[in-house]
Amino acid sequence: MLCVTLNPPPSPLELLELRPVAFALAELGLLAVAGGLLGAWVVLRRLAFFTHAAGTATFPGLVVAEAAAFSPRIAALAVALGFAGGVERAGRRGRDPGDVATALLLVAALAGGAVLASDVFESGAAVDRLLFGTAVGLDGGDLLLSGAACLLAVGACLAFGRAWTATGFDPDGVPSLGVPASRSDLLLLITIAVAVVAALPAVGALLVSSIFVVPAAIARLFSKSVGTLVRTAIFVAGAQGALGLYLALWLDVPPGPAVSVLGATGYAACALVRGIRLREPSVQRVEAAA
Amino acid sequence: MAVEVQGVSLGYGGAPVLDRVSFSAPTGTTVSVLGPNGGGKTTLFRALVGELSPIAGSLAARGRPAYVAQTERTRLDFPVSALDVALMGSLAGGRWWLPARGSDRRGARSALGRVGLGAEANTRFGELSGGQRQRVLIARALVQDAEVLLLDEPLTGVDRASAEHIEELFGELRSEGRTLLVSTHDMDSARRCDLVLCLNRRQVAFGAPGEVLGRETLEQTYGSEIVMLDEPGQPARAIAVGHHHH
Repeated sequence: MLCVTLNPPPSPLELLELRPVAFALAELGLLAVAGGLLGAWVVLRRLAFFTHAAGTATFPGLVVAEAAAFSPRIAALAVALGFAGGVERAGRRGRDPGDVATALLLVAALAGGAVLASDVFESGAAVDRLLFGTAVGLDGGDLLLSGAACLLAVGACLAFGRAWTATGFDPDGVPSLGVPASRSDLLLLITIAVAVVAALPAVGALLVSSIFVVPAAIARLFSKSVGTLVRTAIFVAGAQGALGLYLALWLDVPPGPAVSVLGATGYAACALVRGIRLREPSVQRVEAAA
Repeated sequence: MAVEVQGVSLGYGGAPVLDRVSFSAPTGTTVSVLGPNGGGKTTLFRALVGELSPIAGSLAARGRPAYVAQTERTRLDFPVSALDVALMGSLAGGRWWLPARGSDRRGARSALGRVGLGAEANTRFGELSGGQRQRVLIARALVQDAEVLLLDEPLTGVDRASAEHIEELFGELRSEGRTLLVSTHDMDSARRCDLVLCLNRRQVAFGAPGEVLGRETLEQTYGSEIVMLDEPGQPARAIAVGHHHH
């Protein structure tokens, strides 16, 4: 018979006195801003697959960095930026940056990384670091990179948000508006790639969607404007990160999976609520009238 | 001339998909662009907005033309209101990296009022009817303040009330000195325009509707995609049957 004993919930204030926990909370806060902001366009522009792939594609860079005693952050950034540029170029003729181009480049990156890790450098640690990350155990450099990614996301969204929305809404009409759609789309992919690399130490490549996709997907269910979508996504990402970290510390589980499970549960619950609301006769009448 | 096209050939890297096109549209006129699907109408519009460079020849349009796409080509699931869409026209002001100003918002509201949708400013674009959506896209072109408007099948799938509103609006725009190029499959609508351009991977004909819309030209333009409705003593009438409804 399986018997589970829960420890009493720890005091949040006492937890915050622990330096690794304070670092983790600050990191998740920065990522919530970057993830909520960019997540709005990740969801609107159907870039969830690219976002997931940008983190995973850094694999060969991390393997080489470990073998060459080189900065893994810079190696991952270099590979992610190359990946973003390749996807934009290959998918330029499509209405949105292409999933096929993303898939092909991801497979190439993973195959290259696997060959390097197994046959050239015999590296295994890079795989663990890439896939899982850990929010508790970050250093100042990780926070610095996340801070820079956050600033980049804020600046890019302020300057390019209208162009990203217009391009996604009406790709055929945007050229006549004088918006440089290709360049602004490239910047969107680059900003996402940088933010995803910044998130890798905390949540890992496998769970990066929990920061950049899930909060915005939840917000998308209830938002009637892009502004509301952005604000709600940042709030959801922040709440999900803080609560997920607390649960992880209480239940003694890794923070990344805790944040992800919380986000997935939240999405399922919100989708259910929305589904029930849409079945209500009054809502149906409004939708029919519209 | 508001639009001047001389010996233009257009393509996407291979053989030209539209060859040897020459026409000019005087200021304040409406040119109906007829042709089958794949005949080169949208390609011509893409070249006029500068998205596509000619393989040969030259083209010029006054100012930056506004392109009004078919509403089905837009993302109806986007969380944008009619006002948000009209406001996108202000991106053409050359300061697209800055937030919209109060004057931009007032201009967008005014444009929506002009197309009869002032009361729907806050309605989500995807919840409007097809005709209302088309009018919102025209409002965006008004905010853009373009002298040349390129309208891609603006009356396709549009209810009668909206179609009448749109045609009235076309008259107003013409009287303001704006030039309209309207791609269509509707012969009756083409007959009401000042000029007609027939394309089928090349220029078949260009001129006044009375000169151009004859049986021979229409058969060359549409091939098997057309049914002639001949009535003795009447101008040639036809229905294009091959075009897709979105």
